[in-house]
Amino acid sequence: MAKAPSLISLRLRSIASILLLIAIWEIAGRAKLAPPILLPPFSVVAAQLWQSAADASLFVDLAISLMRAFAGLALAGVIGILLGMSMAHSRAANWLVDPIVALAFPSPKIAFLPVFVLWFGIESTSKILLVAFACVFPVIIGTYSAARAVSRIYFWSAASLGTGERRMLWKITLPACLPRVFATLRIALPVALITTFTAEMVAGGGGMGATLVYSQRFFESPTVFAYILVMLGIGLVLDAAMTALQRRWLIWAE
Amino acid sequence: MRPERTIAGAAGDAAWRVAPLVMLVALWQAASAAGLLNPAFAPSPRAIALALLDLLTGGEIGRNLLITLFRSFTGLALGAVAGIWLGLMMARSRVFNAYVAPIVGGTYSLPKSALIPLFALWFGIGSTTAICAVFLACLLPMVVNTAHGVTTTPRVLTWSAHALGTRERKMLTRIYLRHALPDIFTGLRIALGFSFVLAISSEMIASTSGIGKLVFMYGENGTYDYMFAAIVCIVIVAFLADRALLAIRRQALRWHESAAEGS
Amino acid sequence: MPPKIEIRGVSKTYVTGRGGVQALRGTNLKLDAGEFVSIVGPSGCGKSTLLYIVGGFLEADGDVLVEGRRVSGPGTERGVVFQEYALFPWLTVRGNIVYGLDEKAMAGAERDAIVARLIALIGLEGFEDRFPRELSGGMKQRVAIARTLACDPSILLLDEPLGALDAQTREIMQDELLRIWVDTRKTVLMVTHDVNEAVYLSNRICVMSARPGQIVEEFTVNLDRNKTREEIFLSDAFNKVRNEVWLSVRRQALAAAKADAP
Repeated sequence: MAKAPSLISLRLRSIASILLLIAIWEIAGRAKLAPPILLPPFSVVAAQLWQSAADASLFVDLAISLMRAFAGLALAGVIGILLGMSMAHSRAANWLVDPIVALAFPSPKIAFLPVFVLWFGIESTSKILLVAFACVFPVIIGTYSAARAVSRIYFWSAASLGTGERRMLWKITLPACLPRVFATLRIALPVALITTFTAEMVAGGGGMGATLVYSQRFFESPTVFAYILVMLGIGLVLDAAMTALQRRWLIWAE
Repeated sequence: MRPERTIAGAAGDAAWRVAPLVMLVALWQAASAAGLLNPAFAPSPRAIALALLDLLTGGEIGRNLLITLFRSFTGLALGAVAGIWLGLMMARSRVFNAYVAPIVGGTYSLPKSALIPLFALWFGIGSTTAICAVFLACLLPMVVNTAHGVTTTPRVLTWSAHALGTRERKMLTRIYLRHALPDIFTGLRIALGFSFVLAISSEMIASTSGIGKLVFMYGENGTYDYMFAAIVCIVIVAFLADRALLAIRRQALRWHESAAEGS
Repeated sequence: MPPKIEIRGVSKTYVTGRGGVQALRGTNLKLDAGEFVSIVGPSGCGKSTLLYIVGGFLEADGDVLVEGRRVSGPGTERGVVFQEYALFPWLTVRGNIVYGLDEKAMAGAERDAIVARLIALIGLEGFEDRFPRELSGGMKQRVAIARTLACDPSILLLDEPLGALDAQTREIMQDELLRIWVDTRKTVLMVTHDVNEAVYLSNRICVMSARPGQIVEEFTVNLDRNKTREEIFLSDAFNKVRNEVWLSVRRQALAAAKADAP
């Protein structure tokens, strides 16, 4: 059996393949394998990225998009956790909400964008609500199954230590669910970002997605590529941030 | 042994489960009829139903829906095949994994719909753009889940197979892929959802056909009852597709332990 | 004076898809204040179920009376310690122990004093701010006991409290339990599958039959607990009782096996 590669050599190979990709990109762009409109060299894209950062247009767009994504995610989090826990505790709540979740979960929420635009206009409100709509269902489902999985001996211990029936939800169910709920939110984060960007691409109203589509329509391909790279980077950074947060806040979780 | 389930019993269960939705629609209709809702912003369920009927009989929805489904399923099929193959390779070869994993992992953070304008730049407005977007979106869940299913194959299974004379080529299909099947189905379910999202996003951003475009168009024109009707259609189709996949999974995974519990 | 705990004709049937499973049938038991009673029996005989019913967590037919009053739910006068510890993982050691005191809305100074005393009792000074996941099994069990003692219940219900511990830690914890009982003279009802443990700790042992469970035999234990563990375990008195109890449990286990056999 071949010797397993060491961790460092694996890391190096990872970095190597990314650098390789960038190199191929640059060479292909410079060699004009495709018209520069379709494939600008990496260096040109990087220059455009720098430019957009310098005149702050990138940061304005980013701020708008991120604000919408986070607001929507937070809203989805609060509503989703409340609904998920209620469904776990109350059969009536479960009966009422379950079919809605079952129906809405597989459907592409972006299809509802025109409805939100109709009701709330093309500015941030409609996008935040659409993001919340898209993210709430995984949160409900995740919270519900986490709440159901809370061991009865926690409830029993709390009861024999004097906790009343009413307070069980807050004192026991909620903290016990927290690790899994947080993991669900982590998964919902990319959904929030995708929904925000797509909504902006379809309906305009500022933000990364709007600029992206705008650049495409005017064939400003370096900007198109630059913005895609930024979206990629943001996704990575935010995911890492959430992992770090999880480690700090939920230090007690196994 | 499970208690016998009669058709009537099952129908009764289904009716009970659907009841809240029926209630909500009834409430909506009552509010519309009472004039509580502005028909411009919220058409009554009745108006939507009539619009839906009109679209169905006129063939509008049928035609566009087929285009959308073609785009979704083509991208899904391509993505699934490629994803399963990639996942298998990544799980079996650490070297391959080392080179490919960062690229695959990187795409996790990238919203695939962001690539739609890029593809529109490259391929123009139409099905190719949509299929590419769907393909890329479906790739990741298939790769990740297949890889997970393959890497968790218990050693005792592979050792037994080796001892019984299975050759390396056959190992892949007879042992690893079979073991990964439940995970593959999990990935498929996620990918199915993505395929609809990307197809419809594509149509809304850069297309002249498809049901996503239809919804967008009706919205622009102000014919909101038709817009809602098209959305209802999308929701139903997505729901049915998901159920169909679950039914296929139940059949394909009859041998799996979880099937015994009657899930 | 009524017995501290009285269990009268308690029966419990679990409803399952295939009809019902009767866990307990007409169980009767009385405990006087300050007694340490163990329930032993073959696996699955329903001894834990009986404990949960006394704790007020499960409903059953029949009566459970505490100081003459019917039990209708959990209560702080009946402290429980579970085999799996049931420590709240999101609270520190201190947070867990203080839990019941917070529920009583106890004043700060009094509360802190009790917590300090208990932490000293279980010997975990310096660990107050640790989370349960950082503790060993024995430490977790000690915190679980301290948490229960904080509310000063007059009754302790122990469900195989030492079952998840390794043999050495078990022995240490047994002596701890004994010491706590001697100091506080609480009424203890313990479920265990370890006959040695039952004889070592209790002054009365009840043997339960196989499912559906009933108390079929009782043994009184009169050991001089001032002796050391070694002296006790090696003494004739201990071994005589131990053998009798073991035999009784074995008889029940064999009867269960025969009943299950096709």
